[in-house]
Amino acid sequence: MSDYLLEVNNLTKRFPIKGGVFGKEVGAVYAVNNVSFKIPRGQTLGLVGESGCGKTTLGRSLLRLIEPTSGEVKFNGQNILELSGPEMRAMRRKMQIIFQDPYASLNPRMTIGDILREPMDIHGLFPGKEERKKRLYELIDQVQLQRDALNKYPHEFSGGQRQRVCIARALAVEPEFIVCDEPVSALDVSVQAQVVNLLMDLQKDLGLTYLFIAHDLKVVEYISSRVAVMYLGNMVEVAESSELYGHARHPYTKALFSAIPMPKPGLNKERIILQGDIPSPMNPPSGCHFHPRCWMATEECKKEYPAVTQQSESHYYRCFNPID
Amino acid sequence: MSEKILEVRDLKVQFRTDSGWVTAVNGVNFDVLKGKTLGIVGESGSGKSVSALSVMRLIPNPPGEITGGTIKFNGQNLLDLPLDDMRTIRGNKIAMIFQEPMTSLNPVYTVGNQIEEVFKLHQPNLNAKQRHEKAIEMLKLVGIPSPEKRVLEYPHQLSGGMRQRVMIAIALCCEPDVLIADEPTTALDVTIQAQILELMKKLQDELGMGIIMITHDLGVVAETCDDVAVMYCGQIVEQADVKTLFEKPRHPYTKGLMESIPSFDSTLEGEKERLATIEGMVPPLTKLPVGCNFQDRCEFVTEECRKVDAELKPIEENHTVRCFHPISY
Repeated sequence: MSDYLLEVNNLTKRFPIKGGVFGKEVGAVYAVNNVSFKIPRGQTLGLVGESGCGKTTLGRSLLRLIEPTSGEVKFNGQNILELSGPEMRAMRRKMQIIFQDPYASLNPRMTIGDILREPMDIHGLFPGKEERKKRLYELIDQVQLQRDALNKYPHEFSGGQRQRVCIARALAVEPEFIVCDEPVSALDVSVQAQVVNLLMDLQKDLGLTYLFIAHDLKVVEYISSRVAVMYLGNMVEVAESSELYGHARHPYTKALFSAIPMPKPGLNKERIILQGDIPSPMNPPSGCHFHPRCWMATEECKKEYPAVTQQSESHYYRCFNPID
Repeated sequence: MSEKILEVRDLKVQFRTDSGWVTAVNGVNFDVLKGKTLGIVGESGSGKSVSALSVMRLIPNPPGEITGGTIKFNGQNLLDLPLDDMRTIRGNKIAMIFQEPMTSLNPVYTVGNQIEEVFKLHQPNLNAKQRHEKAIEMLKLVGIPSPEKRVLEYPHQLSGGMRQRVMIAIALCCEPDVLIADEPTTALDVTIQAQILELMKKLQDELGMGIIMITHDLGVVAETCDDVAVMYCGQIVEQADVKTLFEKPRHPYTKGLMESIPSFDSTLEGEKERLATIEGMVPPLTKLPVGCNFQDRCEFVTEECRKVDAELKPIEENHTVRCFHPISY
């Protein structure tokens, strides 16, 4: 078995844009463009970027909830993009997802018990009555809810508790890999910390591997061992989380980190304020997509997209003029 | 010492619900000073938005009602004003920016139209051409490129950051004395947030208005505010200038809140510590406990806290806290 649970090579997702009377294709959006990365078993890769940069599309492509256009997703060495429908369904037992909005992702007409039973029914796990009951209690204990929660409905719970139910549902089928798509963004600060701690404890106890998507860099940096930064469908930099904060090489990463307001008044840090907005992904700028907002841009950047520069085993970036 | 423009005393706002009257804001006091920013922080349901809406007298009635207190603006109690007079102040002397730039602009009118509407209401002596020119001027002020073109566009043609700039332009049309910003950057990305916060700071320096910044992001508070009030379950639990509050939070809730944000320094030292959390959750406003609202989540709780609610008392100069057992340093 390889050290890497997940290995993604040149993954691309292209959404065609149709227009005109005959619905002819008039263009395309590359929501995820030639992205490659690996996640070691039992570790967390954080994925950050601004809205529309393709982080959610990437997360869903990995589970084939959105069918990728090309590339390779190797899970335990097996390319899951080649699997047939039923094979893929069986494979999803090993890979689960937690969504952002705990208010929208639980069926209001099902009790928590039913919600947790459903994935086990689908995959035929824990079929015996006693076995099943034991498993439900185990799940509820793992996410630190009261056992009587099983007979309640989602509306009886707060946002943080609902997110715990979502986590329990993902854990029900004993997955190895979980995509956490903005799991704490909708929660209040004090509750957010509880859920982050829970996710980290579960990782330790169950040996889970996470892809943790969020736009809150402080949380991502905290929970992840490595962080990947995306901009307009491209992965512009990947590094150890401690390295990324102090020693970012890509100007976008640097700007992103400097833009975070820090809870320390009077801290006069160097702030880079990017001009302008993210360009439309329908019509991305030529060359490096970041060049119109980049203060380091040269002629070269306008013409060509920089290739990957491998600085070390775990740190690589795509930029012609990296920061020292 | 700056001049006091807005003075809120003992503000009480209640809402009628199926389970009886709920007190969303309970005895809140704060002042807004000229050219200064007051931050109001708290989690959802703490009453921070309701306090702000009360200042504008925009509490939907029914079900809500301002049941007590005074809101003095330049010495005049806004709660006593007839609605017509209130209308001349709202949007003119006191303006507001809302959280959702997507939903607070009207999709069927051009951006220019919506800015001009403010002038039509509050500066009736201007003619249509002057209003249009003013609208372009406002867009320029908030840093929108090619304002002559943008003024004719509809909200859907603008990005989120641009829309928020338009909202700010609308709010600033009449050079208000007080600007209420209700989570102005929560829906925006960090790089855009940085742009908007800087813009607000710049405009405050130019126009000298007092700002009420409502947010749940302590980072935003630290970087933009001069004074801070922390709210919990409809009450202010601690109030101080920003530096004191962050260095020496006295209320256990404030301290807990600050410790639950991950900071970058912690991860630089190898092994990550667990995040500090505040146990439990905010009690629903319909079932507030007797005594201190924070008692069930507090590590310093005593018998006293369960019987009576502490008062908001000064602990040192310009620092008040509502707690029997404030943290000492």
